[in-house]
This record gives sequence, C-alpha cells and structure tokens, in this order.
Amino acid sequence: MRDPLAHFLLAGAVIWGLLALRGEPVDPAERTIVLSREEQAALALGFERTMGRPPTDGELAAQIDRWVREEILYREALRLGLDQGDPAVRRRLAAKMDELAGAEVETSSPSEEVLRQWHSANAERFGGGGEVTFEQLYFDSEKGALDALDEPRPRGMAISLPRGMDGVTIDEASRVFGTQFVGEISQLPVSHEWQGPLPSGFGWHLVRLMKRSGVATQPFESVRDKVEADWRNGTLANRRAEAYRLLRDAYTVEIE
Amino acid sequence: MIKRFGLLAAPVLLASCGMPGAGGADEAKSGDGTNTIELAEFPDRPYWGDTHLHTDVSVDAFGFGVRLGAEDALKFARGEEVIATTGTAARLDRPLDFLVIADHSDAMGATRRLYDAPRMMVRDPTLRRWRDMMHESPEQSTRAVAELITAAANDEIPEALRDPERQAKATRDLWDRHLALLDRYNDPGTFTAFAGFEWTLMPGGNNLHRVVMFRDGSAKTGEVVPYPGLDGDVTGLWDYMEAYEEKTAGKVLAIPHNSNLSNGMMFELIGPDGGPMSADYARRRAAREPVVEVTQIKGDSETHSFLSPNDEFAGFGDAGWDLGNLPLTAKTTPDMFAGSYVRSALLRGLTLEQRMGANPYAFGLIGSTDSHTALATADEDNFFGKHTGNEPKSDRAMLPQNLGTRQGRFGWHYLASGYAAAWARGNTRAEIFDAFMRREVYATTGSRMVVRLFAGFDFSESDWEGDWVRSGYTRGVPMGGDLVDAGKAPVFLVSALKDPDGANLDRVQIVKGWLDADGTQREKVYNIAWSGREGASADALPPVGDTVDRAQASYANSIGAAELRATWSDPDYRAGQRAFYYVRVLEIPTPNWVLFDAKRFGLKLPSEVVEASVTQERAYSSPVWLRPRKTPGDAPPIMK
Repeated sequence: MRDPLAHFLLAGAVIWGLLALRGEPVDPAERTIVLSREEQAALALGFERTMGRPPTDGELAAQIDRWVREEILYREALRLGLDQGDPAVRRRLAAKMDELAGAEVETSSPSEEVLRQWHSANAERFGGGGEVTFEQLYFDSEKGALDALDEPRPRGMAISLPRGMDGVTIDEASRVFGTQFVGEISQLPVSHEWQGPLPSGFGWHLVRLMKRSGVATQPFESVRDKVEADWRNGTLANRRAEAYRLLRDAYTVEIE
Repeated sequence: MIKRFGLLAAPVLLASCGMPGAGGADEAKSGDGTNTIELAEFPDRPYWGDTHLHTDVSVDAFGFGVRLGAEDALKFARGEEVIATTGTAARLDRPLDFLVIADHSDAMGATRRLYDAPRMMVRDPTLRRWRDMMHESPEQSTRAVAELITAAANDEIPEALRDPERQAKATRDLWDRHLALLDRYNDPGTFTAFAGFEWTLMPGGNNLHRVVMFRDGSAKTGEVVPYPGLDGDVTGLWDYMEAYEEKTAGKVLAIPHNSNLSNGMMFELIGPDGGPMSADYARRRAAREPVVEVTQIKGDSETHSFLSPNDEFAGFGDAGWDLGNLPLTAKTTPDMFAGSYVRSALLRGLTLEQRMGANPYAFGLIGSTDSHTALATADEDNFFGKHTGNEPKSDRAMLPQNLGTRQGRFGWHYLASGYAAAWARGNTRAEIFDAFMRREVYATTGSRMVVRLFAGFDFSESDWEGDWVRSGYTRGVPMGGDLVDAGKAPVFLVSALKDPDGANLDRVQIVKGWLDADGTQREKVYNIAWSGREGASADALPPVGDTVDRAQASYANSIGAAELRATWSDPDYRAGQRAFYYVRVLEIPTPNWVLFDAKRFGLKLPSEVVEASVTQERAYSSPVWLRPRKTPGDAPPIMK
C-alpha cells in the first residue's frame, strides 16, 4: 500500500471513526444538533471514498439532509431504548471497538528494527523445525516386534512405508508415519541400536534413531515476509486483548 | 444521477486481503516453481490439497457471514491457527500441501462492497434491501444471499451488480492484490498456493459450476482477470482459457463440480446448443477439463443407487442432494441421474468415443471442500460447515439448509468432504498442476489414505517383492493413464495404505465400466482385497463389522487392515473392449461430524440421522482406460 491517496483516505477514515465514537454519549434531552466543519468534511470524504470524486454542493447538501434525518431518528431511537437487546447493534458496536483497537496496525509498515526484534523474540515460530534421521521396521503386533527385538538382525513385515527417512522435518515424518509415531519418536534417545516397539496408526515399529537436530531458527532475511505477517497478526491480537483487558478490569462480572 | 456504489474498495477490504508489505515475493515463489527444488525420479508421495475454497470476496460467502479473507485461508491450510468468523479457534491437525482459493468470479467482492457502501449510494431498491438485510442480522444476511443466488439462477441480478465495466475495475484491484498475496505464501517444496476462481454457470438453477486453476504465478495470471458469466455456455470459458494460454504461454485447467446438482446437464450426450455433440467439442472438453471434483460438502457424485443397483456401497452422500438442482427450483427425476453422476459419465464417455472417436468424459477424480468459511477442513471431528451460518453450534445438524426453500435438505446432509491427492515429484505449482493434467490424482472424502494403482500386461504377484513402484512406472501406467489393448487381460497392481491418523481399511475394490459387443454400457464392482474374513469369496464378502459408539462418537481400530494390496487381472476382459477401471477404497465404519456435534453439544438426534451419520470414508482413484488399437488416444502422454 504505497498509494498516497489510499493513505490519505485511510487516515481520514480512522479520524472519522474516532470522531464518530468520541465525545459524550447523546443526551436524549438534547434538542440541538450541531454539524461541525469536521463532520461536514467527513461526510464529503465518505462521498469521495465511494465515488472517487468530491461531491458537488448539491450532493453535499443532500448528504447533510440525510445525516440530519438519521441523527434525529438515531437520537429518538436511543430515547426509546431501541438499542437495547438488539443483537445486531450489540455486535456491530463490539466489532467497532475491536477495529478501533487494531486500526493502525492493519496499515502500518513496521520498521526493519521492529521486525528483527519480533523475529528474535518469537524465534520458535520461525524455526526450521527439528530434523530426524531414522530407520524403522514394521510389525502388525506388539508381540511380533518384541520377539524381533531379541534377534541379532530383526526383519520387519512388508508395508508400503519407507524403510527410513533421512534428515526430514518432524512435519514431513508425521505426514508419512502419523502424529502418534512422531510423538513417540521424539521421546527416544539417539542410538544406533534398535529401540521400541513404538505404536503408530499402522501397528508397531522398531526404530533406529540415528540423528536428531535441534530447532534452528531461520535467518531473518529468508523469512522477512513471514515475520511481517506474523508481527501484524500478533500485534493486532495483542492490542485487542490489551484494550479488552483494560476495559474488562473496570467491570465486575457475576455469572449466576 | 448516481447509480453506482463503492468501486473504491473500503479500507476494511484492503485490510482483509492482506496488505502487500514492503518486501515482495522472490522469484522462486512468484513463478511456477520450475527448477526451484530437487524432484523425485517418480512421484513419491501424494500431495494433499483443497482446490475449492471460498473466502470473504465470494459474493455468497460474505453474505453468509464469513469475515476471513485469503490470508487467513492460506494460514489455516498451512497448518497455523486462525480464529473462525464465529470466534472459535480453528486449526488443522495436519497441514495441507496445496490450496486453490476459488472465489466466485461474478461480482467478486461485491457483497463486501455493498455491505460497506453508504446506504444512500445504493439506489437500486433490491440491492438496497439486500444491503439492509446484511446489516440487520446473520439470519437476514443469509436470506439476502439465498435471494441473490435464486436471482442469479433466474437471471434477475440487478444491473448495478452485473455491469461488467463497474465490476471490472473492482475485480482488477482485488485480483492483483490477491495474486501478490498468493506469491508471498507460495513456498516451493513446502506449500503451494494456486491462483484460481469459480465460474458459476447455472442455467435455471442447474449447477454447471467449474473451478478454474492456473499453473502460473502473478507475472502471467496478472495479465487477465477472472472470467465472469452466469449465462452463456461452457465454450465461452474454454475460449477464455485458450486466450490466456496463447497470451501468456501459461497453463490453466477447469474442474467441474456438483454434477449431482445439475439435473442431468453436467454430463450430457448432446452438445451445449442442444444438437448432437461434435468431436471437436469432446476433444476440447477433455483437454480443458482433465479432472472432475467427485466429492465435497454438498454431496458425493460418484454414483446413485438408481444407476448402480448392484453396488451395495453406491449412494454415499446422495441423501438430500438428489432431490433437485442447486437452489431446489427444479426437482430431479430418475431420467436425469445418468447425466449427474461420475460413473455414468465415464460410461457415456466410452459410448461417445465409440461413436465419434473422441471422449469428452475421460477425466480423473479429485475431492475438495467447497467450504465457504475460508477454512479448508474435511475432518469429521473438526468440521466448520459449509458456510459461516453453520460453523460449529449446537443445532446446526438439524437446521434446514435450503437456499430459498423450506424443505428437503438439512444440516446433517452436508459431508465433511473431501480432499484432492496429487501424485507429484515435488511440491510446486508446475508439478502438482501437471499431475492434474495427466490425471495422476485421486479423491478422498477427507481421510488421507495412500492409494497406488498401476496397470499393465505383465505384472505378477512377485512384483511386490522388488521395487514395485519403479516397476509400475516403467512397465505400466499409473492412475489416469491409458492402456492400448494388447490382446490379453490387463493386470493391476493396487495398494492402499490407511491414513496413519485415521481408521483401518475394510476393502479395496475395482470399479469397471465397459461396452459390450453390441455397445451396451456395463458396470461391475470387484472386491480385490479385504481385511480378515478368511475364506470369504470376493462375490460374497460379508461386512467388515462396526465398532462405532454412537453416543461417544468413537470407534476402535480392532477390525480392518493397515494396508491392503492386490494383483488383479480382469476376468471379464474381451479383446477389443473399451473399458475404464478405477479403484475404490473403503475404511471401516466411523462416526461422521454429526455424531461429534451431538456429543459436543449434548444433542438428541432422530435415529435415522444417527444411522446416516455412521459412514465408511472412501477414496476414489482416477481411472485407467483400456482403448482398442488404432484409436488415436487423446490423453496426455505418459510421463517417462
């Protein structure tokens, strides 16, 4: 998003949002409606955002008439309590609060420094994942696997699984052998001896775990896009959570 | 006179599509992936994906309430946790390898823009009413979309929403941003993000929809925009595809889906103009549409019990969907079934080929979700529904689910289905797309079984003892391939390995379709391998059993097999026969998503619904065709 017009419109939209939510709640007793210059500008901006051109005087006047009508009906609706118990109003306002909390995160371009900090603070999310090298033998029963373990050169049963995997990520191994097996193998010590039997979705396995490398974090340069997306999501979520926490702390909730 | 609304996308929209950051995608990510990773000699594992996912720029998905965009969809498919529209955390147990986001090309982003447009700018009374309904409540929003879909089916979409010029700019902006996002997420060797869209042809509400999938990155796909059109006929889409390939030297294919909702129109014996089908049309269709989506959330299209009365496993996922077309504006009658289901279409293909030397229906099979939640999940215990209106909540299984009517289809008719598996040499756009082109793909209803099929003339039981995959590729053809009649019965090597995180296997079958000497269409299902049941004969194989605890939504892998293999020679072969053979693999019975819901939400279900919710998940391979000699094959060459 490098388009200055878009930036301008966005900034306007944020200000507009702030203006819309700012200030005192409408006092139902209040019978004076003031449409400030800022609010007129906001109306014009809204028009421009939609139509790609500023409104003519006539169009702006029509906008203002409509706004006044809506404002009057809105105040009268509040006076009648029509906002109470309306799930749409409730959801809409709650969503607006969330949007407000994260508004500028969506559009800002974080600096290199911010991203590098994020990368090192959340290194585990940019890991290459651990890698394993192993051989395995398959058996359809635990007993079969146990018996084979006592033999000098155990032989497994035929199944369409690779005899071993060389330097693959945990993810890759779990795609082939399933999550249960990978969970089991991550508990094993590295050793050239046959170990097991380990259960999997297929049956039982004897395993020789030759190598297991730790989780290496990928260098910042190679995952920059990922870091930025992650920063944006993380920051957005954090701000929303933070804003909510501040508000939440002011309340006592009793669930009866 | 002001007539238009929000062509300038609102900031909300920008945010939802992911903001291009300062760093663009590098070259390896933005091309088709050629020469980016080391490839296996032969396809070494199936790559799993969903070719049919909708996000918030789909006109209906947004109206149904989804607020997740393409970026969330990609993250979820890649295995990350996202928050679904209705607020629950969603995550796949296992990531997918590839994803095609296929938002509707018609009115792309229009409901989102309509929703965001200032009310006064929406002059058209119908649009204004829809806009108000979308703001009013989720229920009203869903109703507005139902009206919109019905209007589309009846060709009554308000002008303001159809005007191609107005749409074009908005679509262009969306598309460019979307392509940039795809390139950023495309990661050769790890995850493939395909550009695509759904083309929504629907004459009279009869579903002729296609998903369009591109092989290329943004440098080429950016030269076009998605092809709109609720009317016309499919040859217009093929013209568009050919023009794209000519202009960019790129590649693109189309995938028909939900033939079960087409009232017999998807696989007709006549041409699109109502006259006899021409060989040219047949050849074009085969070239443009190498695969068909056979199973998805809105039902399964393999075959119907009416068409396959001797197949005890026919009719899976047909209930509710076989009542009528997509919006249920026209009922389905039995004479329509043959044009609505895949097995009968494959048979029709043989007949048409015999008649004119070209087979329009020589397609491979895949599954996909057609989820409108931006969440590509086909897992029974992790089902997020067809659209946001039926994301997990207590009563979704029993709610009526009809676009515009009050009868016939209910929540429990939805399937948590399916996925596409592609036998490729590596995970890149080029490799996976090419696997689709040569039909070396298969469908599952959501489970991730590993299914291999090789066909040749000299395979034997002893092949299993050596490197049988190499033998398969060097002495035969894999699924999707063609065999030329050699005067003797073809022999098949078939292997099915269970999903390591899923249920055991009940049986492996070969479904054969052929033409008799007098041209009569015949079909037969052969049991070729099964678990346990020693001494049982293939013609009288008893059921595998049933371990499903209905109340607990659980099952036990105490029956069934981890792997089933067979070397099978066709006992009904006759010299010169035209035939196709595909593999169907059945798991043991398992609880489907409805029972998981019932347990989770403490729901009391009618007994018929409980029983309908114990199913045998399955895989369908692409067929292998046996062709008489001297017939010019129109299939892609076998990979060597």
